[in-house]
Amino acid sequence: MDRFDVVVIGAGPGGYPAAIRAAQLGASVAIVERDRFGGTCLNYGCIPTKTLIASAETFAHVRDAAAFGVSVSGASFDYAAMVRRKDKVVDQLRGGVKQLLTANGVKQFSGTAAFKDRETIVIDGDLTIGAKRTIIATGSTSATPGFISKHERIVESRAFLALDRLPKSMIVLGGGFIGCEIASMAAMLGVKVTIVELLADILMLLDADLRGEVRAHMEKTLGIRVLTGKPLGDIAADANGASGRCGDETLRGELLLNAVGRRPVTDGLNLAAAGLEVSARGFIDTDDYCRTKAATIFAIGDVTGKTQLAHYATAQGIVAAENAVGKKPRRHETLVPNVIFTAPEVATVGLSESEAGAQKRAVKTGKFRFAGLGKGLAAGETTGFVKWIADAESERLLGAAAVGPRATELIATATTAIRAEFTARELGETIHAHPTFSEAWMEAAHALRGESIHAPPRRR
Amino acid sequence: MVTPIVMPKFGQMTEDSSIVEWLKKEGDTVAKGDVLFLVETDKSVMEVESFSAGTLLKIVVGVGVSVPVQSVVAYLGEKGEIVPATPAPLRTAPAGAPSAPPVAVASLRSGAPVAAAALPASSLPSPTTQAPVSVAPARFRISPRAAALAKDSVIDPHAIVGSGPEGRIVEKDVKAYLAASDYASLRVSPAAKALAAKEGLDLIALRADNADKRIEVADVERAVAEKPKAMSKMRQIIAQRLAQSVVTAPHFYVTVEVDMTETLSHRTRLNAAGARYTVTDFIAQASVLALKELPPVNSATDGKTVRWRSRVHLGIAVTLDQGLVVPVVRDADEMTMAELSARARQLVDKARAGGLAPDEMSGSTFTISNMGMLDVENFTAIINPGESAILAVSSTVKKPVVRDDAIVVRPIMKMTLSSDHRLIDGATAARFANSIKKKLEDNGLWTALTS
Repeated sequence: MDRFDVVVIGAGPGGYPAAIRAAQLGASVAIVERDRFGGTCLNYGCIPTKTLIASAETFAHVRDAAAFGVSVSGASFDYAAMVRRKDKVVDQLRGGVKQLLTANGVKQFSGTAAFKDRETIVIDGDLTIGAKRTIIATGSTSATPGFISKHERIVESRAFLALDRLPKSMIVLGGGFIGCEIASMAAMLGVKVTIVELLADILMLLDADLRGEVRAHMEKTLGIRVLTGKPLGDIAADANGASGRCGDETLRGELLLNAVGRRPVTDGLNLAAAGLEVSARGFIDTDDYCRTKAATIFAIGDVTGKTQLAHYATAQGIVAAENAVGKKPRRHETLVPNVIFTAPEVATVGLSESEAGAQKRAVKTGKFRFAGLGKGLAAGETTGFVKWIADAESERLLGAAAVGPRATELIATATTAIRAEFTARELGETIHAHPTFSEAWMEAAHALRGESIHAPPRRR
Repeated sequence: MVTPIVMPKFGQMTEDSSIVEWLKKEGDTVAKGDVLFLVETDKSVMEVESFSAGTLLKIVVGVGVSVPVQSVVAYLGEKGEIVPATPAPLRTAPAGAPSAPPVAVASLRSGAPVAAAALPASSLPSPTTQAPVSVAPARFRISPRAAALAKDSVIDPHAIVGSGPEGRIVEKDVKAYLAASDYASLRVSPAAKALAAKEGLDLIALRADNADKRIEVADVERAVAEKPKAMSKMRQIIAQRLAQSVVTAPHFYVTVEVDMTETLSHRTRLNAAGARYTVTDFIAQASVLALKELPPVNSATDGKTVRWRSRVHLGIAVTLDQGLVVPVVRDADEMTMAELSARARQLVDKARAGGLAPDEMSGSTFTISNMGMLDVENFTAIINPGESAILAVSSTVKKPVVRDDAIVVRPIMKMTLSSDHRLIDGATAARFANSIKKKLEDNGLWTALTS
């Protein structure tokens, strides 16, 4: 039986960096993956959706090029070609992951890992390996509620991304970020989309001003129908499409996308043999050091039920690997940027205004709209704004949000500033290049302090 | 009309009380029912509400001065009305503290310079060798520029030795101090600096707890959390009373094990029939009976005299979020078990809701502290001042015990009696503890008491 210092279960964006970090630190490392290396993010999530969104945006730019004085006639697209491009990108990245693992001397196993005891793992029931330390990084998968039947016209995000043609119309069940991203992309390519969300609004985790901006653009510019506060009932599907009842109305579409949420993957792990169990919601509980209650076993990423984001899993994976090989124990980071690739994009980090309200924490906010930026007008991208949330007294930056062009890129600046414990004054004093979208952060910091140069003074 | 506001009388025993905080200032508008001030009695802190509306014209008795009950402490009336000249009411300040605001309160807030000024000059180390001996005790002197630099640098200038006349700190001294402290190499996040300035902390004294040795908000927050803070009034009273008890009453302890089989089965039977007896009710009833058998345990001493009590006023310790209180079942020896149980439940509920009146938590002659629900094997309690003993009741756990030379499993509860040895001897304590034990193990007694 081969014995390894560290065995990582799951080769997604949490697992493979954990394996590489542990190997860098001199451990003998194995990684076990039962599906594709790269995990959901690379194969069925972040990367394929962003690739298709890039295609959709390119089409939209070309179609609307006349506004920039560019004449294009008969702009059209070939969705199958877009999908082929996506598959190529995914294949290239997946190959890269395997190469990196190999280059770092990480032994790779394909199969389902199950604990035999705390320090023994069986792969696909026949191969047994020893593990001094184990990092569980099994991730999550789409949740399908019981009231949704199995049918080829009812798909979740992974099956949707495998389609080689788009439907003419589509019902999206669930107004979370997955539903809204795919809805935005499909709508840009001309699909008639209806989103049904049970909660009072779509993207409920965001502050109301951000939600409002996204929803207005999705409804008015992209023509997406958004129905909120009502469930979708009587879901049925036939050879021509799917339907459901929402309030008094019966909705129909060629396709129904189920995007109600994700559930942790722990099946087959045989956690009980390792002395572990899952929480009531199916997650593996961990502490700030990514430790489970079994001393030799760590867990990271979606399966732990904390923020379900690839980059958070990566950060946890690196910390778990360091802690597993016996470095000075380190807590994982808690400042996690959240990016949503809707049209327009949204990104947030740190404290939101609604959280501050719930905590009764006194904060000041400063906003600046892209319409007030030279660059925004020059690029023809004037939707949205950036916002700082700072401590009312010290003006320490606590949170930030951006909605609009490049929002998912812009959030990096804000994350760095918050992590470095900047105050609004210092951010406002930092020189930002002109003309750029990133100037909005500086302007918003000025606004927070009532010192705006490029906005009229607030009425007193 | 000008209305005098008087110090209320809390409870029968209270003779003097002092105000711990005024919630209204002179000139404030007062509505009927508004809380005017907080009063500290020997048991607790009470809120005092206004019986009428008006403007608070004058505060006569400030914070921290002990005055007899019924003394005028302030005047209420219409804005602009003239307050009658009052004879100074404060004459009963505790010995050693004249009518001036007492030192104890002032010293809580005073910074280093005030404390230093209060000391006799001879006890101070001489600030500089060349300072003439006749100079008054060192005052903290700093130039405005030096103070501004210290403030901007977020440091405490009190540590700096001044080079100016009479030890006055000038800008040059601050700069030298910063250089000597290697201030320039300090790495501080902007938000951490802002927070340290707000909290009045000294950056040089802060320690970074990360690999980069950069002082961050978490480091400042830790220093803030470690700053001494005043305990709640309730905790201060607990501290004072318990320390007094431990110092004056020589404690000794006697532990007995009780087989709770009979008590528990009897309680189960009674409660199945609709009663609501707690285990504490049985222990309380057994204690009351034992106290009647052994009156010394129900007495109190100051070391010279002994006070016998003909009645049992039973204290029951109740844990609250902020501390603990001891509501008192008065005349417990005159009650049936059902009455005792009902009264105890009423008082405990009231204690948890924070609504005990002073009389409901004073005058106890014996106290029970039951930590049975907290999973403890055994513990000892501190005697409440004014009593001679306290019973500490621990968890009931199933244990193997020997009965008729065979090992059987029984629910066993340990209880420990703390006694004041000035009044109670070992034999008395042992007899008392065993008397309670025998009662708890006696099913016939419970049948008689509860039927």
